[in-house]
Amino acid sequence: MVTLNAYLLVSGLLFAIGFAGVLLRRNIIIIFMCLELMLSASNLSLVAFSRFNTVNGLPNYNGQILVFFIIAVAAAEVAVGLAIIVALFRARRTTHVEDMNSMKG
Amino acid sequence: MGNFLEAPYLLEAVVVVLGLALLMLEAFLPKADKRLVAYIALFGLAGVLVASFNMKAPENLEHSFWSFYATDNLAFFYKNIAVLATMLVIVMAIEYTPVLEKYVSQGSKQGGLGEFFCLPVFVCAGLMWMASAKEFITIFVSLETVTISFYVLVAYMRRNVGSLEAGVKYLILGALSTGFFVYGVTWVFGLTGETHLEKIGIALQGLEGSDSAVLFAFTLILVGLGFKVAAVPFHVWVPDVYQGAPTPVTAFLSVGSKAAGFIVATRILQPFLEMERLHSSFTTILVIVTGATILFGNFAAIPQTNFKRLLAYSSISHAGFLLLALTCTPDQFQLTPGQVVAFYLATYLLMTMLCFLVLTIVRRSTESDEIAAFSGLHRRSPFLAFALLIGVISLAGVPLTAGFLGKFFVFTLAIDSGRWILLAFAVVGAASGFYYYLKVARAMYWEEPTELAAIEISPLARLALLLLIIATIVFGVYPAPILGLLTN
Repeated sequence: MVTLNAYLLVSGLLFAIGFAGVLLRRNIIIIFMCLELMLSASNLSLVAFSRFNTVNGLPNYNGQILVFFIIAVAAAEVAVGLAIIVALFRARRTTHVEDMNSMKG
Repeated sequence: MGNFLEAPYLLEAVVVVLGLALLMLEAFLPKADKRLVAYIALFGLAGVLVASFNMKAPENLEHSFWSFYATDNLAFFYKNIAVLATMLVIVMAIEYTPVLEKYVSQGSKQGGLGEFFCLPVFVCAGLMWMASAKEFITIFVSLETVTISFYVLVAYMRRNVGSLEAGVKYLILGALSTGFFVYGVTWVFGLTGETHLEKIGIALQGLEGSDSAVLFAFTLILVGLGFKVAAVPFHVWVPDVYQGAPTPVTAFLSVGSKAAGFIVATRILQPFLEMERLHSSFTTILVIVTGATILFGNFAAIPQTNFKRLLAYSSISHAGFLLLALTCTPDQFQLTPGQVVAFYLATYLLMTMLCFLVLTIVRRSTESDEIAAFSGLHRRSPFLAFALLIGVISLAGVPLTAGFLGKFFVFTLAIDSGRWILLAFAVVGAASGFYYYLKVARAMYWEEPTELAAIEISPLARLALLLLIIATIVFGVYPAPILGLLTN
């Protein structure tokens, strides 16, 4: 049987990959994908915790409810985020972070 | 159950319904002046503010719903802060309409403008719900309601490159902070099996082993909250976003977002700080963040020449003072850290809104946010110059203004709990504050204006400015009404 540790390891890896992508990649769309990866990492470990830490023999459903809320919020965030990125692309013809330099100080 | 009409959650419900009704109104009256939407929003929110004083906490707290929903003084106080801030932001947005028309409208002159007056109402609902949230799922959803609405508001001027860039930066860093916060919540859930803060507190007391996991979860949550309240080193988004966003939104971010971050921080940190085994580790982390925030915010503000950027760094430094209050564990002082933070935020609301309201009006007539645009303001509009003077001296913390009392309570709290090093930092920071805030006053009163045309102020903005000036001075001398609301 797959242990809790295995799930947490995969989740931690997903989180680390997402965070590294946010720090290292230069394309805003890819950065945005990496941010979603970080949220998925949370979802995975939440479901794992909920399944392994049972209450009276049943999974702890609080965690799974939180997962649904995270998915819903992430969807809203993507809708708004992509709209902003499209608006930026129309105005600047670029989606690279190096070009975001009109403000300094 | 008590009277149904006195149930506090009705306030949030009314605010959401108001927002939806405004959106409908905006959609079905395409020819009307969009400012009508703003006036109705103001009227409705004023009604909510009055009603909030008639709401009662339920007598029977056993009902399971109330375990998710705080009805203490602090919750009502933050609800009032949220409604007041939203009303002032809408007043600012009305003043800002000409600028918005320039960068937003398509088709007709005011096309696409109406939502700018509706979205703050939804932010307000999120802020109010957050004031009462005692449970991680509720906290998370209300926090995101606020943040996602802010993404739209920051990037609202879609033909202005600065606003779009600010929007993208806020989007990326906001989503990143959400990622950290949620991962932290996940670990807390994994450790304790609970999402309710009180139960988490009990579970943490009895936790055995795995100190590092608790510290890991605490740090992740602190990173997430640090972004929201603009604490160093998670402040990188603040200057750019503040500068690029439409001015009313900047004001809302600086007051609303900060208040939201701090009510959540006050509630979340409590169960962790009560855990005796790791109390010192948690406090050390908080103290380091606080010290860095106070020093960086104040010193980085000194060379600024753009007033909006200056206010951004000022916002960081105020976050430092507020965090200082949260690190304290007083034994004699009669106010708890949570109450001191709430009081400070109320005074911060008054003075920051005063500055931003003047900035909005000046921005409309001079098209510039630079401090140079304020040169000789007292010759163009003595009233605006006086209003801004009161605003900046209160931000600096001159005695007899509301800002002084806020700082005074924080310093007293720090002395009472013996945070001497942080206190030294705070004194140095407050002293350097005098320099950069009074730089603005010098520009207004001692420098020659570049143009002499008088600046027009609408009656509504004049009324708002007048009320804010009076409140800043009155609460600086006689803070009892605010303290009364907090301590009852």
